[in-house]
Amino acid sequence: MVLVTVRLPPGATLADAMERLGLSEEDVDTGYGLVLIDPDQGLYGLRVTEEAGHRTGPPFSDPRIEPYGPG
Amino acid sequence: MRVLIQLRPSPDLVAAVADPGRSATTADVADGLPGVTLDPSFTPVAVPRPVPSPGGDPLSLNQPLDFSLAAEDASVLVRGEISDDEPATRVALLPTLRPDVVGVFADPVIESNLTCGGDAPVGDWHDVERLLGTSALRAEGLDGSGVALAVLDTGINAAHVARHLGRGVNLDAERSWNPAGVAGRPGEFEVDHGTMCAFDTLIAAPQASLIDIPVLLSSRTGGSALDGLLSDAVAAFAHLRTVLEAQPAESRSLVISNSWGSFSPRWDFPPGHPGNYSDNAAHPFNLVVASLDRAGADVLFAAGNCGRECKDGRCAYPDRPIGGANSHPRVLSIGGVDTEGERVGYSSQGPGRLTARKPDLCAYTHFSGSKAFGEGEPDSGTSAACPVAAGLVAAIRTQWPAARLSPSQLRSLLRRTADDRSDVGYDFDYGYGVVDPAGVIAALRRRAKRVA
Repeated sequence: MVLVTVRLPPGATLADAMERLGLSEEDVDTGYGLVLIDPDQGLYGLRVTEEAGHRTGPPFSDPRIEPYGPG
Repeated sequence: MRVLIQLRPSPDLVAAVADPGRSATTADVADGLPGVTLDPSFTPVAVPRPVPSPGGDPLSLNQPLDFSLAAEDASVLVRGEISDDEPATRVALLPTLRPDVVGVFADPVIESNLTCGGDAPVGDWHDVERLLGTSALRAEGLDGSGVALAVLDTGINAAHVARHLGRGVNLDAERSWNPAGVAGRPGEFEVDHGTMCAFDTLIAAPQASLIDIPVLLSSRTGGSALDGLLSDAVAAFAHLRTVLEAQPAESRSLVISNSWGSFSPRWDFPPGHPGNYSDNAAHPFNLVVASLDRAGADVLFAAGNCGRECKDGRCAYPDRPIGGANSHPRVLSIGGVDTEGERVGYSSQGPGRLTARKPDLCAYTHFSGSKAFGEGEPDSGTSAACPVAAGLVAAIRTQWPAARLSPSQLRSLLRRTADDRSDVGYDFDYGYGVVDPAGVIAALRRRAKRVA
């Protein structure tokens, strides 16, 4: 899975984002949903399959993160 | 960086340096090298000139050589420091400005006793209390009361924290948040890394309200036990944005402690790819970090455990290991020192990938504290240093909400008041230095007078 971003009006829903990007439920991590990244820019993020990410792109990486300890 | 500078002064000075019966100082040999802070305590050393046999190659060291300390042959070494910002420029320019400079060489630290992973604790958390001047902080009313302090990690076990601190813990269950698919109630997670971090935040800010966000317990595809995915951190920061905006503007304060990062470029898109995370300020997580800063949150990240001397085995960046949000310009990137003030050998050195001047500061780690990993095991890693610093920030916020002191101003204040561990300001080992609460208190008093 990868992250993609989309600009939408305030109060947008995942359905709005999917419609704007032309995505189906199979393309999207619906459990993750639509996340507001920057309200000032109206920028939202969602998690999609790699194929959908390349289609709607640009896809952003969703790397693993790990604790920095114990040292 | 510390350097050795090779000079060829006048033959009489070379003779004075080479003669054990005479004395010549650094000032005699090299007074006023531009951009170099010379070390006057270092006695200049004469360096013999390699001399090939007759007919030998004058440019090769791979042949039989004699060495001449004659005044017309030898050179002299002095010691100094140049700013980490400009070593290449300075090294290139010095010989053009001063023809007697014939070489500039690194003068690396050669001590081998830096604290490393697996070493026993160095001091305990009461030493950290003392070093953080917590009694002075409390005398100023700076104890974290009313300040929201989010710990994004593996979840908190509040009972363990309270037992080992010997005092109550304010856990803000209402504003805590789990990524989708993560079960468990705030403050009731298994004792692990997040519990250590929570304990360490409360050393300086015992009254702060902990927001528990177990972002490293992701159950999404691609994650694994005690790892998370960056997408969960994006969602966690979006939640924290709502937490911040629900606070009255005049008293907003939210400190976010992050003791995690991404160890391997294999998990990321390559540098230069538009979707890359570690080198790309336009990645959604780096955007959400900037957005939180703009809204008034203080964001702190551990610098990482990829220090040259004893790096974590997971470190997979061949160089510049402080990447992504850990090197974001709007965060405080925290390196680690032990309770004796020495950088721990695993604390990552700069330059950072998004911002060159990383780490920003160092705070204390590798002390006996939470016992989250068992009796005798230290709170370690820059994982511990970050929440120690976050606790100090939360203590400051008690009286200084973002409306009085913006996150940017607070970062500047911490950098400006840090206990500089080099002679010429910023360096890639310690950043601007070790956090110095006494300096912070003095600066805040001056600021309060100015704005009164």
